[in-house]
Formats: sequence, structure tokens, C-alpha cells
Amino acid sequence: MSATMEDVIENGSATVSQLQPNASDEISAEEVALYDRQIRLWGMDAQARMRNAHILLVTIKALGNEIAKNLVLAGIGAITVHDAETTTEEDLGAQFFVDDEMVGLNRAEAAAPALQKLNPRVKVSTDTTEGIESRGADYFKKFSVVIVTEADFSTLTSINNACREAEVAFYAGSSYGLYGFVFADLIKHQFVIERERSNVETKIGSETRTRSLVSATTRKEPGGKFTEFVTKEEVYCPLEQVVVSQIDKKWRPRKRKAVSSVLPAVFGLWKFQQTHGRLPDPDEHKEDTKLFMASMHDSRNSLGLPLDNVDPSFAISFLDSVGTELSPVAAILGGMLAQGVINFLGKREQPLQNILVFDGDVTSAPIYCLRPQGDEE
Amino acid sequence: MTRAGRDKFAQKSLGGLHRNIKQAKCLMVGAGGIGCELLKNLVLTGFGEIHIVDLDTIDLSNLNRQFLFGRQHIKKPKALVAKETASRFNPNTKLTAHHANIKDSNFNVAWFKSFTIVFNALDNLDARRHVNKMCLAADVPLIESGTTGFNGQVQVISKAVTECYDCTTKPIPKSFPVCTIRSTPSQPIHCIVWAKSYLFNELFGASEDEVPEFDHSEDTDNAQEIKNLRQEAQELKRIRETLGQPEFAQNVFEKVFNKDITRLLEMKDMWKNRKPPAPLSFTSLSRGSLSSCPSDQRIWTPEENLWVFCDSLDRLSLRILGLKSMGEDLLLSFDKDDEDKLDFVAASANLRSQVFDIGCQSKFNIKQMAGNIIPAIATTNAITAGICVMQAFKVLKQKIKDARMVFLSMSGDRGLITEPLRTPNPSCQICGVARLDFECDTSKIQLQEFIKVVLQDVFEYSPSISILHDKLIYDEEYDDNLDASFENLGITDGSFLTILDESDDDQPRRVNLIVQIKTRSPSEPEKSFVIPHRIDIPMKQAQPPSLDSLVLSGKDFGRNNSPHVSNEVEQSRKRKAEDTLDSNQEPSKKVKAEGEIIIIDDGYIEID
Repeated sequence: MSATMEDVIENGSATVSQLQPNASDEISAEEVALYDRQIRLWGMDAQARMRNAHILLVTIKALGNEIAKNLVLAGIGAITVHDAETTTEEDLGAQFFVDDEMVGLNRAEAAAPALQKLNPRVKVSTDTTEGIESRGADYFKKFSVVIVTEADFSTLTSINNACREAEVAFYAGSSYGLYGFVFADLIKHQFVIERERSNVETKIGSETRTRSLVSATTRKEPGGKFTEFVTKEEVYCPLEQVVVSQIDKKWRPRKRKAVSSVLPAVFGLWKFQQTHGRLPDPDEHKEDTKLFMASMHDSRNSLGLPLDNVDPSFAISFLDSVGTELSPVAAILGGMLAQGVINFLGKREQPLQNILVFDGDVTSAPIYCLRPQGDEE
Repeated sequence: MTRAGRDKFAQKSLGGLHRNIKQAKCLMVGAGGIGCELLKNLVLTGFGEIHIVDLDTIDLSNLNRQFLFGRQHIKKPKALVAKETASRFNPNTKLTAHHANIKDSNFNVAWFKSFTIVFNALDNLDARRHVNKMCLAADVPLIESGTTGFNGQVQVISKAVTECYDCTTKPIPKSFPVCTIRSTPSQPIHCIVWAKSYLFNELFGASEDEVPEFDHSEDTDNAQEIKNLRQEAQELKRIRETLGQPEFAQNVFEKVFNKDITRLLEMKDMWKNRKPPAPLSFTSLSRGSLSSCPSDQRIWTPEENLWVFCDSLDRLSLRILGLKSMGEDLLLSFDKDDEDKLDFVAASANLRSQVFDIGCQSKFNIKQMAGNIIPAIATTNAITAGICVMQAFKVLKQKIKDARMVFLSMSGDRGLITEPLRTPNPSCQICGVARLDFECDTSKIQLQEFIKVVLQDVFEYSPSISILHDKLIYDEEYDDNLDASFENLGITDGSFLTILDESDDDQPRRVNLIVQIKTRSPSEPEKSFVIPHRIDIPMKQAQPPSLDSLVLSGKDFGRNNSPHVSNEVEQSRKRKAEDTLDSNQEPSKKVKAEGEIIIIDDGYIEID
């Protein structure tokens, strides 16, 4: 099945061999038995690539718990958990790696033993020193993927930019009560889709604003059918460009109106943070509701969304959620983010391009591709 | 010690709902892939009390996703270990674990009634249907869920408000015509089914005549071939007597890969448009000398197949002889996790594939096909379980109209697809029914008394009725049980009887009546039952809802672009509209397609 895929890829595209440094490593029978149900989904080669990955996870709160759990269960090679804060009582509300006794301990160190227990094959390490946002490209270079959760905007952009310089894939995510987002900047990412060859000829070239079809090869199956291996490439842009981008210019008014309000809310929250140096907290500062609404409308406007995209009652509900975390929401976002990382490592699925927002009130999870327009087509 | 800060975030973001959550008592059926994730969410969110039911034990292949379990828990009951691990997440939640089958009689309607909400986290159709039925009888909302690979699905079920699980028929297990399996295989799966359901059973299990999956219905076209096949099976039975003798493997081999194939070749008509098979000879094939079973990841050479065939036959024979010497049951049944059995099926299937020039498969792939293994990953389960809780929030807020049918299916522009919940299918045999509680002394009341005094006198049923318990116990032509007491018919407290109105097609018919039996209070010991009050039993709709209306209502929500999870639903809806007579409620009336083997396996649709 997938055993022959490597060969095909290498024949199909000259650049692909460098994408798969250690994929040939033999997976033991014991690992096959343990990972049986997932190898049947993504194949042996993707599993081998995951085993060679070293992930950095910045901040291990509820969302971080879920991401770490999913990646460690799936059998990544190593994970470094960074968190410079101590465990609080509130952390017990949605985090399952910590308990009463750990309140007051560093959050990464508190979570690590329970995380390690999930899979003894994975190397789990912690980093508790402050100032992760100011580490340069050299630090991030040693990781396969960097995931930053629950960070403020300047931390997100500085790590994102350092990762770009280091040519390391970057994921970010936050959960705010019932709401949240997942963002990906994979710089330039190639992956191979395996499908039955159709009658329509596969065309090399651009497929979407960000994706192009690089090459395609076919293999004849015993039944007489043909399997096609299509190499595609997605091109990304960094978060600092995303937040100043508009929704696709070609979208009609109805589609613009239907854009999830979570998108301008998250951007508005970042704007508020940049302006005021803190999160909005109407309990402490009465004026914050108004100020946040203003930031949200700014963002809505710069996204190119109509006025009625933002409903005041939604903004209030979102504000109530800021700074809180809920286990089921963290599970949904953490599942989607971790699967994104697995897809990135496995190189067999379409990856997230480039921001997903979640609204737990209506259970929606739309994905928007936000990037500067005018520099393409 | 409990920490006040623990609830702070849930209170702030959920408001008044948080109080309902703390007071809720939930039942979680299944502590597997979805169950582990769901239990974590429920406990952390602060649900007051949770009962966990699961009859399964922990296996190594669970550990890539069922994170409440570790290596040290292998072979231990899932329900108990899940409770133990999850109890550490929140000391304020009261947890009760039942290592038991949800179909056990102590989990009766009264017990289901004690819950605020029920979560299904199951891996098989049968248990899902059972819980659906119990929740309808108890009128408790049910959150139903399932996953397969990258995709998941969550459905909220509330009696008389939404569709129930059985309002749409589910895809039936794949079945193959017996002649395809036994005479004219053309795909690897045909050879695998042959090895697993025919050859293995003939040699080690219940022989063909006793296996219910086989149907020997004949028609004029295949009568002769069916007769031949039966004779072949008889001959194999005689070879089975030589089990344990040195020539056993050769006998079996020559029989199924040479003699039977040679016979097939004589049927010239069969090979006019097909490539004829090529018999194998045991003596001309070299058996190779291996020290152990070759890798399950690659396709074996012909020599390796022969070696594994002989070696696994030896291993299985030794086991049979060992059992015999201890005077134990001599029958084995196929189990994908039993290496000896899997090796035998893999090697036999591949040898047969060689005969028919069909592509061979690796043992890894054969395991998946023979065992109906469905890929399962942690992330899909985590997301799906999270969605279950989000939908439960709507139920607890008494806002079931805001709940949605949710499909997890990542695409370029969204991660989830939602659809409004549908109203009940009026012709559903499970929820489109009338219900009656019937108090009686099951040791005294006779079936005929029930029919006469209750059904005919009180409810004015015509004589054209059928009564089903687990199977048919009465209809107009089947009156053997009239003198039997309920007790003798296995009808006890909590049992359900289904009364079907069998009036002529041109007559209006009543919907099915579900009678729940309650052993009667001893206050009136002189009577064998309490005459029930007449309830209104509506008529069935003359016409099933039109196919157009069913399909159209889905189109608005992008159903036609939906992933395969919802396509399955779509297909089953169509099937439902075409054939509203659902067979699941009427097992005795199940119509089997002629000359087909029905392969029945649990968990073939969705796993955990």
C-alpha cells in the first residue's frame, strides 16, 4: 500500500526526497501493534515521520493538555513543554494533567509526569524559563513544529517570525470559553494525496490562491484500476500579515455577512491587548466592554466585513469567555490543532490554510484563508 | 479537599447552565475511544454524577487513543479503570462503574429514567439500538455519537421531538452470493471470506449446516452448484477426522486447492467469460523452511504462504487435540486477534488468490478485512466527544431546538458540518409507536388471556395481529404458545412485547404497540393482571413520506457536498423511504436474499 509510495514520490518530484529524512526507519512489531488503528489510517511512512518529530509546545493549559495528549498518544518522537507559570486553582477546572496537590508548582513540570505516562516511547521534557518570545531562530531551529497556545499577539508574532527565519512550521491556538481559534503558518508545505485516477486529466499548476499541484504519478493496481499520487504545495503567510488582510475580495455580500463573528472578535482582542497591554475585563474596568466593541469593529472593518457581522450580544458573550477555558471546547480545538500537526508531519492530507475559528454556541468551525491580496493572480 | 477556583471558569463562561450541569446525573454507555474522552470532559466540566457501563476489557491496540488506560491495565475492565483514572480529574463528581452489558435486565426502564441525560459512546449497532429504545421508553434525552477514521458524527435524540436512532435505516453488513465465495471469487475479499467463514469453520468450528450466516436457498440457476458445494463440504468434514495425523495439512491442501478446483474447472460454462482457476499441487510446491511467521507488512511469497498454511494448521490442530484431551468443547471460532487463526486465514486466502490469479494481500491488510477493523484515532474521538458535551449543554438548557446534528469532516473551508435536527419519522417502527405499561403476574397470565381480554376486548384488535418478544411468539397461523404463561415464554419484569396490526393491505393499520411488562404489585393477589385503560393507538400513515420531501430538506444544508458520513445517512434515508418496513424490529420476518451469505459482525459501521 504505502510501502511503495516512497518510491513513487521520489520519482515524481525531485524535491520530495529532502522532505522525508528518516522515513525509512523500520517500525518495530510492538509499535505496529500499539499504533495499529492509526497506521491503518495514515500508513507506515507517516507513522515513521511522526516518530522522528520533535515538537515544542508553548504553554500547557487546557488547550495545551489536549494537544500534548493527542500528539503523545499518536507517537511523536519528542515533545518539549514550555511554561514559566505556576499551576493555579483555576487550572484544575479544565486540565487533566494536574490535580489539587500540584497547585503552586510550575505548570509544565506539574503536567509532565502524567503526560509521559500516556506513552513511554515519547521523550517528554520541560522548559520553565521565561522569555520564550525573545528567543531567536537558532533556538526554534531544532524543532519540527512549534505550537504556541494561549499567548498574546506580540508573543505569537515574534515566535512566528523566528520560526519563519528558522524554517520551522508554526501552529497557534487559544480557547476562550465557548470560542477559540487555530492558526497555521507552514511556510511552504508539500504533501501527497493518494487517490483513484479519474477520467479528468490531472493538471499541473495553481489550484487555489495558495495551493498548486506540483506533480502526479500513477500506479497500476492488480484490479486494473490506477492509483494516482498527486504532490501538492501550499504556500503560507505569517500572522502579522494575516491580521491586516481582508476576506477574499471575490466573496459576495451574503458570504461576507456569514463570516463567523469569532474572527473579528479574536482580531479585536489582539488589538485591545496591543493598545491596553492587558486583556479586557469588564468586572475590573467598566469601560472595557465599550473599548473591546470598538476594537472588534475596527477588525471587522479591516477584514472587509459588513456592520451587521458583529452582534452586540455576541460580543458580550465572547467577553465573558475571555480568559476562561472549558474542557469540551479545548478538546475540540486541541483535536483539530493536533490533527493539523499530524497531517503536517504525515504529509498525506490537505493541511489547515490558514485560520480556523470555533463557535461553541452554534458548533461551527469555519476556516478562512487570510493573506495579502494583489500579490497573486 | 475541594478547591473553589476549580469551578470559576465554567461558572463565568456558562452562567446559569453550570448549575444544571452540577445537578445532572448522566449515563455513559461505552468507555472506549469516545468514552474515555467524553468522561474526561464530563468530569472536568463538573457534571454531578456519572454512571459508566462497558463490558469490554483493555487491549494493547486501544492505547493509541483511549488515554485513561495504560499498559498496566491491559485485560482489565474498561469501566472500572476509566472510573479510577477519571476520578482524579475532579473529586466533586460522583462516579459509578458497571463492568456489564447494557442489555442486562437490571438496566431496565426505571433505571434509565433515573438519568438526566444518556451518552452513547458505542462501537456496535445492536447496543446503540438497544439504548435508543430504552431512552425512548424512559423518555430520557440521548446523545448518540460515532467515529470512523478522520470523521465523526453526533446526534441528539429526544422522544417525540427529534428523529430517533432508528428513524433512518442503517447500512446492512456487506454480503456476498455464496457462489461468488465458493466458486467464482474475483477479489481478495472473496478469498478472505472463504477462508474465514467457510474453510476455518469446516475444519475447526461449527460446520456449514450449523452456521446461521449461510443460506442454502436454491433457485433453478444454482441448484446443481449448491448441491455440489454441499457435497464438497461433506468431504471436507471427513478430512477433519484426520486432524492430528501427519498428512492432515496435505489432505486439506489437496482437497481445497486441487480437487475442488479441478471439479470447478469441469464446469466449462462457468469459465467462458472468466479466467479459469489453476489448481495447486502440494508436492510440487516447495514449502520453504522458515523459523517463524514472516512479516505481516509485506505480501508473502507462494512458499511462505504454504509454510504458514501448514504451520498454522499444526498449531491449531495441537490446540484442538489439547482441548479434546481435557474433554472440552472442540469448536473454535475465528478471532482476528488470535495469531494462529489469523495466520491460517491469511495463508489460506492467499493460496486461494493464487489459484484464481487475484492479487494477494499482506497479513496486516487481511486482518483488517477479516476482522472488520475500522481505523480509529485520538483526535477524532476527542473532537467528537467535545461536540457531544456542547450538544448536551443545549439539552440541559431546555433548548433542544438549538441542538444540531454535527458531522466532523475537515475540508478546505470548514471543520464541522451542522444540520438542524429532524422531526421523528412517522413511519419509524421504533419511535413511531404507542406505548402501554401492563401490570401482571407473569407466572399466571397466559398468552391467550392477554390476547383476548386485553388486546381484543380493551383495544379492539382484530384477530390479524402478530406479537413479538425477542422473536415471534404469536400470529394468526402460529398459535402454539396460546396456553403458555408469560413466564414460560421468557417474558419477565421489564420485558417488551410488540403488537403488530396485520390487517389487510387495503385496511388502515395501527402503529405498533409496545407493551412494557411490570410484575404486578402484590396488593391484589387474586387477579393475574390489571386491566389497562384504553389508550389511543394512532393509525399508520397511509403513504410513507415522499422521497422528494426527505431529500429536499437536506439539500439546503449542503448535504450533497457532505462527506461520506452524511452520504451514508442520505442513502439510508432513501432506502427508508423506499422500504418503510424495517426488518430490525421483526427478526422472525427478516428476509434473506437468496443464495447469499450474510456476514454478521459487530462494529462494522463505526467503531468507538
